[in-house]
Amino acid sequence: MIDTHTNALQTESAGEVGLVEYRDFVCKEPFRFENGESIPGFQLRYETYGQLNADHSNAILICHALSGDHHCAGTHSPEDRKPGWWNHMVGPHKPIDTTRFYVVSSNCLGGCVGSTGPTSINPVTGRRYNLDFPILSIADFVFAQRRLADYLEIPSWHAVIGGSMGGMQALQWALSFPDFVERIIALASTARHSSQAIAFNEVGRYAIMQDPEWKDGNYELGEGPNMGLAVARMMAHITYLSDKGLEVKFGRSRRQTDSSKNQFDVEFEVESYLRHQGQSFISRFDANTYLHFTKSNDRFDLYGDHEALEDAFAEMKARALVVGFTSDWLYTPEQNRNLAHAMLLAGKEATYAEIDMDLGHDSFLVHAPELFRLLSAFLSN
Amino acid sequence: MNRSTIKREVDFQIISDWIEPGSRVLDLGCGRGILLEHLIKAKDVYGIGVDPDLEKIQGCVKRGVSAYQGDALESMHVYPEQFFDWVIISRTLHELQHTAEVLSEAARVGRLLAVGFTNFAYWKNRLHMAATGHRIENEVYPDPWFQSAPTNPVSINEFEQYCSNKGLKVQDHVYLAGNWRSACRFWPNLLAGYVVYKVGRSEGVCRT
Repeated sequence: MIDTHTNALQTESAGEVGLVEYRDFVCKEPFRFENGESIPGFQLRYETYGQLNADHSNAILICHALSGDHHCAGTHSPEDRKPGWWNHMVGPHKPIDTTRFYVVSSNCLGGCVGSTGPTSINPVTGRRYNLDFPILSIADFVFAQRRLADYLEIPSWHAVIGGSMGGMQALQWALSFPDFVERIIALASTARHSSQAIAFNEVGRYAIMQDPEWKDGNYELGEGPNMGLAVARMMAHITYLSDKGLEVKFGRSRRQTDSSKNQFDVEFEVESYLRHQGQSFISRFDANTYLHFTKSNDRFDLYGDHEALEDAFAEMKARALVVGFTSDWLYTPEQNRNLAHAMLLAGKEATYAEIDMDLGHDSFLVHAPELFRLLSAFLSN
Repeated sequence: MNRSTIKREVDFQIISDWIEPGSRVLDLGCGRGILLEHLIKAKDVYGIGVDPDLEKIQGCVKRGVSAYQGDALESMHVYPEQFFDWVIISRTLHELQHTAEVLSEAARVGRLLAVGFTNFAYWKNRLHMAATGHRIENEVYPDPWFQSAPTNPVSINEFEQYCSNKGLKVQDHVYLAGNWRSACRFWPNLLAGYVVYKVGRSEGVCRT
């Protein structure tokens, strides 16, 4: 993802959520996945910002994207170099205003940052799940978050908000629990992956699975297909940016080359940047989770067996804000328009807005005054 | 009171009177969603606005009005025939690109059209042109030719002739005088400053 920190220009009156702590919700009830398999219980890591009001009506859920996590605002310690991934959007008097809303930022089931997933111990076998972890779907993320909502005594969401895979979750929430969701905001999202999006994911998965260290998913903790995962990330990262965005940021600028190294070592700045993205990813992400998550994205399909996409939205009650970004070639403006049109054809309250930014799919993560105003207005109404 | 406020009030009044409660309404060139907000409150309509400008869409979001940011013509292609009870083209007719296609597509997706515009053949415009040889500049036509957005000013006669040529039937009209408030009773193409039409298709598809 783009370094959001350097782009986080704050509005003058806005404050910070400051130091935050994550919490772990432990559900001891069995969880049945969409594919029919079950696990005896699960843990879901989350953070909250702001206060739940007396009638529990001010709760907002934030769903993260593929490589994101529950830490979207504030810092965990004063020494933290970077705040959470959406810090410019969430906080006192920011668009997702923590003086008004109780914001819950939930991890995804199957993740590798504190929630139950492939790296967790299977209580039945006493060994890590690895590839035995049940096949995950976007709906599974949502049903696990629904248990979290019950635990937090939240009867309905004022809004469910997410970008990319987070947007898929927001859409799924509105369809799976129509009475639970008053508003959804889906940014840079899609009703289903294009063939091209699946193709890119497959290259990433193949790189992981061809790495000898993958060992059919049975690598030890601290080991694993680091090379494959780094390549997957480097490639995927290109799809999150844009031709123009890369040109503006790096152009053809070169690094100081060391003549003692071979001629195929890092030469251009963009190479260095991608290698850094790949290397930093392997320190924080699990390869099996990456396989599971990308598959859950590829399989997500709101069209399903419906004749037309609008039929999928027949039961939706939430008001929706769908936002596309002009330079997003992964989940294109057209795919976002299709979502909004389907909702409108189904007679729902929905708005489509398109923001002209150069940064590609990751535009939604970056500070943009237009997006600030849209979210702020939509949440206030 | 400035002209745009008067025009807005006139639209509110006339179009509100025509539209039945609970109708489905598409507003092409919806701006900040003020008319739709009014229709939602007063007539409980299901309304969708269309505007190409993000700032206008932000205004709609602020008002809780559903809106689609995009091109008027393209935005209609997804809707089946007669999906809307009304398509409103108010104060945008002269700014449209592909005007004929928009009107024909609007007549496809809507049972009825509400079309409002300022009458370019209004006598003061004619007099000004005849007397000075310059195109008029006033509150209604504020910008000189080198600054204004491309527009297609249209007169009452021209529009009515277009409708009859294209199988569109004017079912009702409100001609307003130069003050845009009082009714204009005679020679509308000369004396009316503002007009709002209720237009349907001639084949009898349209119900009133």
